[in-house]
Amino acid sequence: MRFVITAAPLGVTAALLAGSAAGSAGCAMGGAMHQATLVGQCAENDAACSRKHPLAPLAIGAHFHPDVSAEIAGTSTPNLRLESVAPDILSVEAGDLVGRQSGASAVLISTDDGSVVDFIHVWVAPVTQITLSRRDGERVSGTVGLAVGEDITLEPALWNGPQRLAGDQDLQWTVSDDHAVSVLRDGSAGRRRLRARAPGKATVTVGLGDSKATLEVEVVP
Amino acid sequence: MRLALLAIAGVAGLGGLGACNPYLTVQSPAPPGRTARLDQVKNFWGLQRYRLELSRGVAIAITCEHGGPCEHMQVVSDDPAIAEVRSASLGVLQTSFDGEQTAAALVIVGKAPGQTRIHVREKNGSRDVVVTVIAPPAASAVVAAPAAATPLTAAR
Repeated sequence: MRFVITAAPLGVTAALLAGSAAGSAGCAMGGAMHQATLVGQCAENDAACSRKHPLAPLAIGAHFHPDVSAEIAGTSTPNLRLESVAPDILSVEAGDLVGRQSGASAVLISTDDGSVVDFIHVWVAPVTQITLSRRDGERVSGTVGLAVGEDITLEPALWNGPQRLAGDQDLQWTVSDDHAVSVLRDGSAGRRRLRARAPGKATVTVGLGDSKATLEVEVVP
Repeated sequence: MRLALLAIAGVAGLGGLGACNPYLTVQSPAPPGRTARLDQVKNFWGLQRYRLELSRGVAIAITCEHGGPCEHMQVVSDDPAIAEVRSASLGVLQTSFDGEQTAAALVIVGKAPGQTRIHVREKNGSRDVVVTVIAPPAASAVVAAPAAATPLTAAR
């Protein structure tokens, strides 16, 4: 015989508590216990940010910079830390989630004293394709024409089949003729700015392992 | 006659042992393609223990109740290298005969394939959970499996 009398199913109560948390965080990745959310660290108006893809698998080798918060009745968010259950699949390094190999691992969201507030299962997948987009999200391919002195900012996206992967990856950028086009860093791990320097043609290649994306750039006077 | 009464009392007492221990309830779903399942193991006398099947890398949240949230709960794993146990904070109230109290929760994580036992003790009882941690399916194995076998393989 069971002596417990429950006023409402716990799951329902917790889901109600979590409702406002998920709403305030937009497209947040909700925890299994409905108490915490995990999103990417992005500016509100950054269209290319990984906040847009909090539910996507993390690319192998990529870093995801999480922004964790919790909404628990009667308390502000306590001091939280992250811990991976399977560090060989997904590790936590200096607060970042780092994809190590294909698979799934729970990420525990705990207080300083180790009490688990929530957890999220995060998937890791290999990169099968790289695409390039402008900062507004429009995909760029084929040939791009630029006038001398003109810039174009390119954001690479990592894909596993039809799924866009999350995380920042240290990609290899090369240009066939650096007299015509320069590739400049702009403070983001993956993003680059192409500067048209002199009339001519150049091929810009972005590579990661066996995957690569190329873009032909034609610079006119 | 006295012997029969003693026997009945003994049977009733043994049967009651199962009811005098805490009950566990799952509070989180399994991720797709992985297992996180807690089942009761019963016999003629009632609930004896729990059986938990968990994929490696997966976590499950569980609450402990015994006429309300378990009091002074202590949870120990025989082999933390296979299944690790953490105390958890679930910020919800549960109603019992003594009024409302915050839920007593724990999280179990599958660390490595194998079998171990977790002991849940609280003020007035205890309960064992036999945990089997299973390896996740290899991606190529799931893709290559025959159609009839795929659902079972993929469910693990």
